[in-house]
Amino acid sequence: MDLAFIVIDESELDCFIARKVIQQVDENLIVYVFQSAQHGLDSIRENRISGGFTTIILLDLQMPVMDGFQFVEEFEKLPAEIRNKYKICVLSCTRNASDISRIMAHKTVVSLIEKPLYKADLQALITRLA
Amino acid sequence: MSEKIKVLYVDDEQENLVGFKASLRLEYQIFTAVNIPQALNYLSNHPDIKVVFCDQRMPGKSGVEFFEEIRISYPLPVRILLTAYTDIESIIDAINKGNIFRYVKKPWLEADIISAIEEANKFYMANSMLLIKNDELQKAYNELNKFAYSVSHDIRGPISGILGAINLAREIDDVEEMKEMLFLMEKSLKKLDTYIISMHDYYSLQRGELKIQEIDFNEIIDEMKAIYMVLSKINNVEFKITVNQDEVFRNDRVPVKLILNNLLSNAFKYQDKSKKDKSVEIIVDVHKNVATILIKDTGIGILGNHIGEIFNLFYRANSQEVGSGFGLYNVKSALLKLNGQIEVNSVMHEGTTFKVTIPSI
Repeated sequence: MDLAFIVIDESELDCFIARKVIQQVDENLIVYVFQSAQHGLDSIRENRISGGFTTIILLDLQMPVMDGFQFVEEFEKLPAEIRNKYKICVLSCTRNASDISRIMAHKTVVSLIEKPLYKADLQALITRLA
Repeated sequence: MSEKIKVLYVDDEQENLVGFKASLRLEYQIFTAVNIPQALNYLSNHPDIKVVFCDQRMPGKSGVEFFEEIRISYPLPVRILLTAYTDIESIIDAINKGNIFRYVKKPWLEADIISAIEEANKFYMANSMLLIKNDELQKAYNELNKFAYSVSHDIRGPISGILGAINLAREIDDVEEMKEMLFLMEKSLKKLDTYIISMHDYYSLQRGELKIQEIDFNEIIDEMKAIYMVLSKINNVEFKITVNQDEVFRNDRVPVKLILNNLLSNAFKYQDKSKKDKSVEIIVDVHKNVATILIKDTGIGILGNHIGEIFNLFYRANSQEVGSGFGLYNVKSALLKLNGQIEVNSVMHEGTTFKVTIPSI
């Protein structure tokens, strides 16, 4: 499968779960995990994510220092050749309608999954995006 | 009554002003203005004027027009019209528009004026209380909104994590992996527990009353020392304590401890793990009825542009997964309650110093 994942989530437990669930779908999938959105963004900007793949970014919304909203804004400033390699899926426990419509208004954000992440949700996402 | 009610009387006839002042000055603090500019001048210099009397018939502007004008710029003082002739139409109109509280017929009787002032004062006080209550209510609503928002993240977040982990556990066979996950689950639940304890602190700070008692800082720090000694050992952070107290200090013990606990736990929490010489130092000086507390750390520091926001509810300046965004907000609320102050000095990668001053009551 020509896919890689970036998980951006402040919570160590949620990062662990996301990595495990991704590997349950296919244990050969490459997963990068960042507990800080800034570090995730830096890696994307400096092309440290190994290329050739379509990469799905699983992005949490509420994080200190740089939250999911700020991440998407910064991400959209990147050059198109970098941006086009990624698809952002928000992975959050929020039920806040204004947060949801605000983040989904970004065209780089293609999907939203409510936490906790289950294997079936992820499989559906992969089928939809692949 | 502690202070005389301040009353302004505007009339173009000097002798009316003199008579008014002469008969009422013992009971009230009377300001008299012979024209509108003078009246406006009094209103701007004495924002605590509670009652304004104005004659209806004045050159240039009527009393009703004057009230219409000050109603916008000085909404608080209660407006009472004095009128010699029965210009009923314009008075009814003015009352209905809410421009005046009542009117008194000229020539006035002292008893009418006194009763008007007393009623106006009651009205003024009720209005002011309402404004204060409204402000408090608005603040409470804003915080409630923040709470509702944070509940979905700070409470639902760990719960959804645990649910995800339980679901995952069904398919994990490896014991080591299981242990790793249990460790992360525990960490997540501890964080949730801390959040709930802080929420309790928040509530008691907002609603509780002060219980003033003598405070011995040596005793307080001794009580808290045990926990921080453990942290100091585990994380290899030197913990230095200095207490200089030769006089009696009185204030509420619970918020004082809360302040020290929050600042100390932050000082240990936000250490730079890569640094060799790590330390946390607390210095308490009680001098001339003021306790000055310095809490210094050799930690990661706070970025200059975050410093203004660190005392805000649910604000977190750091992405280490430890903060709830409650701690410093609670410190600030506690200090507000104790009538104390806090200053922050921070240098990135070198450390942060909090300076707290609390008066003895």
